[in-house]
Amino acid sequence: MLMCRDLARIASDYIDDELGVGKKMSVKMHLLMCGRCRSFIGNLRASTELMSAHSGQQVNEEFVRRIDERISESLRTRDAGNIKPE
Amino acid sequence: METTAYQPDEEDLVHNLKSGNQKAFREAVRLYTPGMLAVARFYLDHASAEETVQDCWVSVIDAIQTFEGRASLKTWLHRIVANRAKNHLRKNKREISTDFSEPLDPELAERFAPNGRWAKPPSLKSNESAEALMENGALSKCLDHHLSRLPETQRSALMLYEAHQHKSEDVCNILDVSASNLRVLLHRARQKIFLMVETFRETGEC
Repeated sequence: MLMCRDLARIASDYIDDELGVGKKMSVKMHLLMCGRCRSFIGNLRASTELMSAHSGQQVNEEFVRRIDERISESLRTRDAGNIKPE
Repeated sequence: METTAYQPDEEDLVHNLKSGNQKAFREAVRLYTPGMLAVARFYLDHASAEETVQDCWVSVIDAIQTFEGRASLKTWLHRIVANRAKNHLRKNKREISTDFSEPLDPELAERFAPNGRWAKPPSLKSNESAEALMENGALSKCLDHHLSRLPETQRSALMLYEAHQHKSEDVCNILDVSASNLRVLLHRARQKIFLMVETFRETGEC
């Protein structure tokens, strides 16, 4: 029989629908009987959605500007190299 | 392999990148650098990861000519970063070590009784939607803080899968991990975020 700890180990697989049919049924049966695990799954799912809603890793603006500068410089060098002498 | 070709607006962006349009590069840098950095940080320390991402962008100026749209631009860029980061690792003879054997977070594992039932069950009863949670600015800051403290391998997997919406196969390819190891990384990272949200909503503290 699936215990709460067993369910906690595979909770993400359940949320992402990565479990086989048998295991998925055991989780569903357990959740029918266990409010604590329903709460755990519900909140783990909310945490997962929170990550999707999060704008993502913030990148330092100074770093982005340094990339812009290196790209501009490389583009200039490349374009200068492409100009053929008359 | 990603089956969806790139989107129409991505098609314009790629066209402009191929023409060497500086404005297009500025747009692409802002759009894709966070994900590229997440990939590089899976393998490298902060400084080396930033250096690798910068070098990648410079190489993209020429390499974009070979982009055929078989994968999305995002996936293509992430693969370039992953390859460069892996080369960097090989040169420095470093290896990443991660424990993939235990899917349960140690802090959560302690909350179960020996019989496998909850000893300290989740304290959150209601499930607020992600949008409602994100409206709380303090929680958003707290999330950033905890994300920065996750092991790099877990954070990169989580960022690529959740925040940058990659498919599992793509994340496995980019990060060079097996599907089962990716599941462990994702689950461990999600549990950390779950514990953080629980503490935050219980105490109001990060």
